[in-house]
Amino acid sequence: MNPAGATRQIYWNISHVWVMYVLLFPALAIFVYGFYRQIKKWRRGAPAARFDQPRRRLKLVFKHALAQRRTARDVYAGTFHRFISYGFVILTIATTVVALDADFGTAIMRGHFYLYFQSFIVDAFGALVLIGVGLAAIRRYLSRPKKLVYTDEATWILVAIALICLQGFLLEGWRIAATNDPWASYSPVGNLIARLSLLSDSTLQTAHRFTWWFHLLLSFGVLAWFPYTKMMHVFTAPLNIYTAQLAPLGASLKHLDFEKTESFGVNSLAAFTWKDLLDLDACTECGRCTAVCPAHIVGKELSPRDIILGLRDAMHGDVNAPIIGSTPATAPAALWQCTTCVACMQACPVFIEQMPKIVDMRRFLVMEETEFPESMQQAIMSLEKRGHPFSGTNATRIDWADGLDIKHISDVQDAEVLLWVGCGGALIERNQKVTRSTAQLLDRAGVRFAILGRDEKCSGDPARRIGNEFLYEMLAKENVESLKKHNVKKVVTSCPHCFNAFRNEYPHFGGNFEVYHHSEYLARLVSEGRLKPIATANKSVTFHDPCYLGRQNDVYDAPRQLVQISSQGAAVEMARSREKSFCCGGGGGMSFVDEPPDKRVNQERAREALATGADVLAVGCPFCMTMMEDGINAQRGDREMRVMDVAELLLEASS
Amino acid sequence: MKILVCLKQILDPEIPARDFRVDAAKGEAERGNANLVTNIFCENALETALQFRERFGDAKITVLSFGAASAEDSLRKALAMKADAAALVINDKNSNPDPLTVAQVLATAIRKLGTFDLVMVGREAGDWGAGQTAGLLAEELSMACVSFVDRIEAMSGGLRMKRQTDSGWEVLEAQTPLVVSITNDEHNVPRIPKVRDVMTSYHQPITQWTLADLGYEIEADKYYQLVDLSIPEKESRCEFVTGDTLDERVESLARRITEVTSAL
Amino acid sequence: MNDVVICLLSPAGFDRAAQGLAGEGRRLAEKLGSQLKAIVLSPQSPATAPEVAQVCDEVIVVEQDEYQPETALTALVDVCRQLSPAAVLFGNDTYSQEVTPRLAYRLDGAAVGDAVAITVHEQALRVSRQVYGGKAQATIELKRTPAVLWTRARSFASANKLSTPGNITELNVDAPTDTRTRIVERKRESQSEQRLEEARVIVSGGRGIGGPEPFNDELKPLAELLGAQLAASRAACDAGWVPPTFQVGQTGKKVTPDLYLAIAITGASQHMAGISEAKNIAAINTDPDAPIFKHCRFGIVEDYRKVVPLLRQKLIALQNSQR
Repeated sequence: MNPAGATRQIYWNISHVWVMYVLLFPALAIFVYGFYRQIKKWRRGAPAARFDQPRRRLKLVFKHALAQRRTARDVYAGTFHRFISYGFVILTIATTVVALDADFGTAIMRGHFYLYFQSFIVDAFGALVLIGVGLAAIRRYLSRPKKLVYTDEATWILVAIALICLQGFLLEGWRIAATNDPWASYSPVGNLIARLSLLSDSTLQTAHRFTWWFHLLLSFGVLAWFPYTKMMHVFTAPLNIYTAQLAPLGASLKHLDFEKTESFGVNSLAAFTWKDLLDLDACTECGRCTAVCPAHIVGKELSPRDIILGLRDAMHGDVNAPIIGSTPATAPAALWQCTTCVACMQACPVFIEQMPKIVDMRRFLVMEETEFPESMQQAIMSLEKRGHPFSGTNATRIDWADGLDIKHISDVQDAEVLLWVGCGGALIERNQKVTRSTAQLLDRAGVRFAILGRDEKCSGDPARRIGNEFLYEMLAKENVESLKKHNVKKVVTSCPHCFNAFRNEYPHFGGNFEVYHHSEYLARLVSEGRLKPIATANKSVTFHDPCYLGRQNDVYDAPRQLVQISSQGAAVEMARSREKSFCCGGGGGMSFVDEPPDKRVNQERAREALATGADVLAVGCPFCMTMMEDGINAQRGDREMRVMDVAELLLEASS
Repeated sequence: MKILVCLKQILDPEIPARDFRVDAAKGEAERGNANLVTNIFCENALETALQFRERFGDAKITVLSFGAASAEDSLRKALAMKADAAALVINDKNSNPDPLTVAQVLATAIRKLGTFDLVMVGREAGDWGAGQTAGLLAEELSMACVSFVDRIEAMSGGLRMKRQTDSGWEVLEAQTPLVVSITNDEHNVPRIPKVRDVMTSYHQPITQWTLADLGYEIEADKYYQLVDLSIPEKESRCEFVTGDTLDERVESLARRITEVTSAL
Repeated sequence: MNDVVICLLSPAGFDRAAQGLAGEGRRLAEKLGSQLKAIVLSPQSPATAPEVAQVCDEVIVVEQDEYQPETALTALVDVCRQLSPAAVLFGNDTYSQEVTPRLAYRLDGAAVGDAVAITVHEQALRVSRQVYGGKAQATIELKRTPAVLWTRARSFASANKLSTPGNITELNVDAPTDTRTRIVERKRESQSEQRLEEARVIVSGGRGIGGPEPFNDELKPLAELLGAQLAASRAACDAGWVPPTFQVGQTGKKVTPDLYLAIAITGASQHMAGISEAKNIAAINTDPDAPIFKHCRFGIVEDYRKVVPLLRQKLIALQNSQR
């Protein structure tokens, strides 16, 4: 037979097709209304500028909505998700083709196109959908991982998808059997069903007719139901990815206009931006954010997934109703457990921004209610009174420089860089040694550097993360002014929190400086030959990526170069490294809080570090130094593991 | 009920010892890099006043400070904590007036501000710690005085208060007008002002007077005079107990302790 | 008149602090070439006046049923006006601290508190006291007479006994009719009859203790073993873990024990101001850089939770072996 004429009869065996068109309209209306309702809700949020740089945004959509790269980080889930999603794309194209041919007089599904695409490829992808659903069901009902959300809705969705596909195959198979379709072999699954259906022609026709209408009702039902379920993510996820934050994760927090804002911080859906509200509808309930959350992993209540889903459910109610404490996930106790490590944001396949919402709610608690943990209050009061968060310290900002010839910036003409020491580096005894090491290395390299000494004030990071945006702004503005006054162009700092503040947050206040983490600057000095380290020590070293350097600012390699250069021994990577690094537990104001002894983030990380068997744990942050030393001390048992900053390692190799 | 709370702004008492220096000629600590803060007992007093108003209603709280122009910051913070009015008597003369001068200036300013039922001061200042303001102020204003109060309640005909003593506490009943000095307690830890209130406080007016406005002239050294101010030399090296195990170290500690106590 | 008068207001009677006060009063009187007199405000034990008379040239006992601030003040003013002294000295108890400025005012004198040393300089009295939370020492010369001082009497040596005890007179004082304050309830919350300022060994806890229970469960048994009294830093008191009477520091008690064991106390200068006269300070703290160690004779860097139970065992063993 001539393949050029291959096709099938649309609506074979079906009469009163007009009923379908009649039913289509209410289904479509309900579908459209569902979207309209959500879009209206998003628009009640505050403004946000997320439509700049369209080419960059489109690239993100290709990478993550089409290629689904983040989803595929979990190979199992990525596979079945691609099966189902790509399968449905194909099925949708196929159905559209049918509609075009049926209603618009086209003749697309003919010949080779009909045989190879409409029959074969569609069958294959339909089968993939079923396999995908099967794999998903195995995970959901047999493995039952904790991170998933077990709702009836999820079950019904899987059932519906499976049924729709199954029905599709049955319809195809029975048609093939009843019409003795000559092109049956191009539809392998349909063909198989045809072969297996040992029914009489009239039975086939009845079954086919019945199933066709059932399939119709089911499909239209799913269509109508679609925007009221997590299936919405098919549309909201790509939209969410398009409007994602393009700046590094370290720049995730929003600015507040204190003169114009009605309420400081967020305690209602209306106070969120439209992008925040879109986030809520993009969520697919995959649970990866909670699965990587360090607080959650050590047994605390914090669950980014449940915050997002709780807020999503609250969208059905009054957008002005209070949200803090409206569900267990948004209870203040949980909000105060966040270290702002943004592992959640890194993990999210659809680019939801969980951490800024937590900080938004913290802002409300701190600035509107002044209700926040006492230990954090101490830190804030110390910041207000003394410009540093370490209440009770007897150290000054220049104690670390005793015995070294370090100059104040006003005494140095044309300094190459300003060494920004930071509060941790100046006032915590263990970290003073790191500052000394950095200063000595800079000196050896012949770098003309200076410090602000007593004129340094906290970068404001702890205040900002705790939620006191007002205090943060004051400190930031003072620091920007201070640096401008001294004509500072380049800043080197050993604290990633200060680094992040200067690089990503100070430009908002007119502070545009070239900022380097000390590991970056030192690595550069080595590559320029200004430092010539010789690794003599034979210790194995594992590097703990600071959240504020790595995940939030994409700096992973410079500290590793220093580790490589400094030690002859092996460099060992922890499983949770680079962008998957596990927080030390010190960020977000948490280093000031006394955690329950059995739920300490730093101890969890310490166990991981110890398990590598390395001799040295290398760090690049004063918070990590404190938390990891504490953690290792608490966990070490008989093993010795030294915690050292990369600068200290480099100095040892440079002696 | 009209309440007046006196506030003193002082050098941050928690400056690191290394940074603490005195200017013997001027007879005061050097400002250096230290910040200025409100004396904690004055904040306890303000907090007590605020809680009194919350519980017993209808009280107007005025805060008053006698100090340098920078004391305005302390008064703004008090306004942010929701005091109703603030006044500052600027001291442009010497920085460490004696307690009688302070009491007289405050009394003059208080009379100019109106009639008050209750005057509250901190028990002493974190810098000079003379602890005399309450008593001398009471004498100047011809009011009774109760010291070391940590809790005040309204009762019919006056006030009931609890005050700390070295062996416990006492409850007193008093009639207004009254001066009290306030000491710290777990209940009068000063509240953190809300950001919005901090912002509003910058727009609230503060009455400012010079000593000339009050018609007061300071007579130096009429009550007492500072003849010397110095930082005592104190170097002692701590002997950290040694031992390889915790057991050995605690044994060492126990021995050292017994050495001292058995000689008693 | 150039006499020195000491005033005993505390119901503790002629205790170590009062003896020190008398000693200092006597030394001062000798420098001024005058007599030492004493005012004893009742209610006191009947043994007090005769004990005081052993070291003072004259003792005036003011009878009152109970201590009331305004009655006491009026009585003191009356007696001091009659005596017209050069100096009036008090101890550091609550009533003394409260009364001195007002007494000075009514006598047209000048008051100074927390004196640790008193000298005479060309007929004027000079007083040494700690300022700036104990970080500095000030010397103050009084410009009006009488000088009305409350002192850290425990630091002073006691007086020599007189060959003939002084005269004891008794005065009855009527309460002034227009008193506007009245003590209606008194509560003693102290751990023992002995005042904290009298204690020779003190076990003190700070913010690092972490809660009220360890004060009872860990520190109290340790204190009992050592015959010590319990005290605390302001942080622990502010947190409500212990009553305010435990507070040692710039405000709170100034103590002068032979051994002050500071447990989980950082040693901020505000606290150090209360223990600067302690003979031996020892500390248990997890932070080797805690300022307290700069003032210690000896110490241990360790979590008190690990040290204290073990320490109790060791002390018991040592005590047993000494029997």
